[in-house]
Amino acid sequence: MKRLQSIMCAPLILGFVLLGLSGCSSKAVQSGGDVQSSQQGAGKGSNEGGVSQNIPDTSFSGQNGSGGLRGLDKNPSEERLGGNTLTAKADSGASRQMEEIRAEQIASAAAGLRDVFFAYDSFVISEEGRQILARNAEWIKSNPGAQLKVEGHCDERGTSAYNLVLGEKRAKSVRNYLVELGVSPKQLSVVSYGKERPACTEHTESCYSQNRRGHLVVKTGK
Amino acid sequence: MTFRIVVFISLCLSVGLAWIIESGATDVFLEATRPDFQKIPLGVAGIDNSGGADSPAGRIRLGNRIEEVLKADVRRSQVFSLVDLASIGIKVGSLGAVPDPEFKKAAEQGVSVIVWGKAGMTNDAKDPDVNMDGYVYDAGNDEMVGGKRYAGATSVVRLMAHRFADELVFRYTGEPGIARTKIAYVSEQGAARELFVMDYDGYDARQLTADGFLNLMPKWSPDRRFIVFTSYRNRNTQNIDMIELATGKRWTLVSLSGLNITPALSPDGNFLAFASSHEGNSELYSLDTRTKAMQRLTVHAGGDLSPSWSPSGRELVFTSDRSGGPQIFLMSMDGTNVRRLTFEGDYNAAPAWSPRGNWIAYVCRSPKKEYKICLITPDGQKRVQLTSGPGVDDSPSWSPDGRHLVFSSTAGGKSQIYMINADGKDLERITFTGTHNSAPTWSPAS
Repeated sequence: MKRLQSIMCAPLILGFVLLGLSGCSSKAVQSGGDVQSSQQGAGKGSNEGGVSQNIPDTSFSGQNGSGGLRGLDKNPSEERLGGNTLTAKADSGASRQMEEIRAEQIASAAAGLRDVFFAYDSFVISEEGRQILARNAEWIKSNPGAQLKVEGHCDERGTSAYNLVLGEKRAKSVRNYLVELGVSPKQLSVVSYGKERPACTEHTESCYSQNRRGHLVVKTGK
Repeated sequence: MTFRIVVFISLCLSVGLAWIIESGATDVFLEATRPDFQKIPLGVAGIDNSGGADSPAGRIRLGNRIEEVLKADVRRSQVFSLVDLASIGIKVGSLGAVPDPEFKKAAEQGVSVIVWGKAGMTNDAKDPDVNMDGYVYDAGNDEMVGGKRYAGATSVVRLMAHRFADELVFRYTGEPGIARTKIAYVSEQGAARELFVMDYDGYDARQLTADGFLNLMPKWSPDRRFIVFTSYRNRNTQNIDMIELATGKRWTLVSLSGLNITPALSPDGNFLAFASSHEGNSELYSLDTRTKAMQRLTVHAGGDLSPSWSPSGRELVFTSDRSGGPQIFLMSMDGTNVRRLTFEGDYNAAPAWSPRGNWIAYVCRSPKKEYKICLITPDGQKRVQLTSGPGVDDSPSWSPDGRHLVFSSTAGGKSQIYMINADGKDLERITFTGTHNSAPTWSPAS
C-alpha cells in the first residue's frame, strides 16, 4: 500500500526534484564541468544535470603481474623504499559548517518540532507519528518563509548502504505526509543519514527505537 | 592475474575442484588456491639486529620488529605455513649471508623454505637510515637461492618486511602478494565520518578527508590512485566524489539531486556503477568515465543499490528490495538478464564479488536476526555463513588474492574492522582505537 502511495506521489517528487535543480547545477559547475549527460538503454532520464564532465582518467590496463617486485637475487642490489606521505588537508570550511549545523539544531529546538519514530525495517508512519506531524505541519504552515530539511535515520542493525535507502524512504514518507497536510513542498527537502548519525549509541532496543526516526531541521544557511 | 587461464567450458564441474565457475558467463578461471593446495612450510630463523656496539643500545630492536611483521605476513599469506624452528629443535646462532648448517636439519624435518636476515640503522640521530638484508634458503636446492637489500627512513621499517614477504609469495606462486595492500575505511571523528587509509594489517592509518561531514562507502579505483565515495559536503545532495591519494585532490563526479551512493569502478576503470534516487527511488546507473554518458541500469519501484563488478567486468551483483526485503540480484553490465541470487533469509545485502570470481560475499540476516557475513557461489548452488555470534557485521570486501575478507563488526561493542580467511578461519581484529570504524574496502594489489 505504502509503495503504491509513493508511486502515486512520483509526479510531485519529480516537481520537487526539478525545483531543486538550480542548486544542483551550480555544484556541477563548481566542480569544473558543464552540466550534461546522455541517457541511453533501459531508462529515460528526467534529470540531465549533475554529472561532471571533468573526470580524471581512471582507465586501467591491468597488472603487470609482479606488482612492482623485482624478484630475489643472490647478490641483491639496494632497493630504496619511499615512505607514505599521505595526509589530509584540513578543510578550512569544516568548522564554519559545523557551526551552521549547531545553529540549525538551536532553530529546530526553538520551533518545537518533534521527531517521528518508525518500527523496525519499516517506513510507515504510525498513528502517533501522524499526530506529531499534524502539529509540526501547523508550525511549518504558519512559518511560510522557513525552509526545512526532513532527515531519515535508522538504527544500527542492517547494512550501512541499505539503511541509507531505508532512511530516504522514511524521510520521503514524512515529507509526503506533511504535503498531504497542506505544507508547501517548496519548504521541504529530504536527506537520509541512514545509521551514520545515531541519536543514541547503545545496543539496546530502547536506543534502536530512538534512532529509527524522521527528524525535522529548520535550515539557517542556504 | 597472469596465472589466470580462461578456458571455455561445455559442462559444469563440481565446486571443490581446481575449476571455478563464473555464473552466467562462458568463461571459467583456473585458480591457484584450490582447496587441496598444500601450504609451503616456511621457517623464519631470525632477523638479527646489526649495527654493532656503536648502535645506540636499546634504542630500537629493529631486527625483532621486522621479524615480527614478517612472520605475521607469512602467516596471513595462506601460501606458507609458519614453522616455529625452535620447537623442532633447530637452534641458529649468529646469522651471516650463508645458510646455517642447521638449515639442512630443518629441511630433513620437512621445512621447505627458511628465511633470515639482519637489520640496523645509521647513527645519524636526526635522520637515521635503516638497512635490511633478507635471505632465502630453499630445501630443494639446499642453498641460499636469493636475497633482498632494502634501505630507507625509519618510517618504512614495516614496509621492508611487507615487501620481503610479498617477494616470497611472488617467488613461490607468481602472484604479487597482499602484504603491501591497503584498506580504506570510514572513521568517526566527532560528529563527522572521515575517510582513512591504513596498511592491510591495520597499521599506519592516514586521514584522507577532513571536511567535517559524512564521507561514506569508499571504493578503490583499479589502479589504486583514487578512491570514490559518497560525500555529504554539499548540504543539498549526497554526491559521489573522487579523491586522489597522492595529492588529496578531490572531484565531484555525480551531483544528481537526492541520494547518490555506493559507487564502484569497473575492473577496467572505464565505468562507474552507482545508485541514485534522482528519478524517485534508488536505481542503478553506469557512468562511462571517458564519454561521460550515463546509462540507467534498473527500472523498478523497489530500491536498487550496492553494485559490485564481476572480475570480467561483464556482470554486476547488487542489492534490491523489489521483492520485499533486500535480496541479492545479478545482471549484465547493460542492465539486462536480471536474476535473483539469494532466497534464504529475508535480509541479504551489501554484496562483494570475489576478484577470483568464485564467490560473492554479502551480509545475511540469520534466523536469530543477527547480521553476519555469508558467501554464495554466483550460480547460487553453494551458500555458507562465514561469521557467527553477536554483533552487526557489515561491508565485506575481498583481498585482491581472494583469500581474505575484511568487514566491520560491532561484536566487541563499538564498530571495528576485522579480517577473516575466506574459509572462515583466522578471524583477526585489525582496528583498536576510535569510537567507530566501518566500511572497510581492500585495495587492489599493486
